[in-house]
Amino acid sequence: MKSRITTALMVLLAVFITLGGTTSCKSKKRLAREAAEAEYKSKVDQAVKDLNAILNDETLWSLEEKEARVKTIKDWNLQNAEVDDLLFQVEKKLARERAQKDEEERRAAAEREKANAADAVLGRNFSSIANASSVSQANRVINETLGLFESPNVPVLIIIKQNAGFNDYDRPTTIEKYLNYVKDQKKAAEKVFDIKYNANGKINELELIKK
Amino acid sequence: MKKIIATLVIVMCVVGSTFAQDEIDYARKQAIDSLALEKVRDLSKYIKIVGSKETPFSEANRVIDRAEELFMSDAEIGVSSLGSNKITYYRVRKYFEHLMRLNYDRVEIEWYNIEYVSDLQRQPDGTYVGVITIFQTFRGYDKEGNLTYKDTTKKDITVYVKRKETQIGGRTIGFWDVLLGDMRVKETTNR
Repeated sequence: MKSRITTALMVLLAVFITLGGTTSCKSKKRLAREAAEAEYKSKVDQAVKDLNAILNDETLWSLEEKEARVKTIKDWNLQNAEVDDLLFQVEKKLARERAQKDEEERRAAAEREKANAADAVLGRNFSSIANASSVSQANRVINETLGLFESPNVPVLIIIKQNAGFNDYDRPTTIEKYLNYVKDQKKAAEKVFDIKYNANGKINELELIKK
Repeated sequence: MKKIIATLVIVMCVVGSTFAQDEIDYARKQAIDSLALEKVRDLSKYIKIVGSKETPFSEANRVIDRAEELFMSDAEIGVSSLGSNKITYYRVRKYFEHLMRLNYDRVEIEWYNIEYVSDLQRQPDGTYVGVITIFQTFRGYDKEGNLTYKDTTKKDITVYVKRKETQIGGRTIGFWDVLLGDMRVKETTNR
């Protein structure tokens, strides 16, 4: 009798152990699945939020930061219809912004190049006028230089002193008077500080600074 | 009594700070000092160009226009000679026209020792006024190239510097307007 009871208890124990182990394994898998689902949902939510913010210009990110964000979301490979649709729209928007930014940078570089070229030409011509061996030679360079300007009356500003946040100027003059001044005084004591152009590429404002 | 003293102190502080705001710092003052001196040096070049018999008439007239712009509208320039104690004062354009017509075949005019005798001082209306002295050596030659006249004159030029504003390209530009006043003869010698 005692032996039967012992056997029954052993069998019961084995059943409990087996059943308990199976339940624990199933619980771990469920937890892992739930965690993965939660992570996926969190990523989808985040992606939708970020993509909508980019689409509606509700973020302070730079274009580069926005592009990096889109790349991260694409790398998640969420395979979510809403996210895919938003990605499509955002990529189109960022492509437009990139093209616009590249164009602006190209235009700015061209302006810089043009300004540097004009700067060099003006500097060289000022020096040629100041050091001309005759009035007629100086006048020839003056006429050549005036060709770069919208008119002989283009204003010329001369900075005599730069202060914190503002400039002190000499009395404004015109390019024709300034070039003749360089000829008369036989000195080119100023260098180009800033040049502004009209739509035809002619200089319409010149700012000089004392060397 | 304490209230009166406190009020006075506050008033003095406010007035003092107002004056302090109108003053310009040393570096800016130096910049306008140099600008005024430069205008006087520019004038010396203009006198030399107009006085030269080699300067074409059209060039001389253009230079006279530029020289006139350096001066206040009613400014006068004093002219002296060794042969007379009289000093004649001409309006700027008249002075330059007189200079163009001098009866020499060649003229040399040199300015030197150009310096402040009275520093630019701020006046109640905000204008800075100073006096710059110059020494001018004049030499006149005949057609054989002989020196027929020479003198050295010390002259004082009053300079006025005022802060003004103008609109250029939609911007307000603050600038220092330097204008020369009378040029007075102080002394003429045969050195």
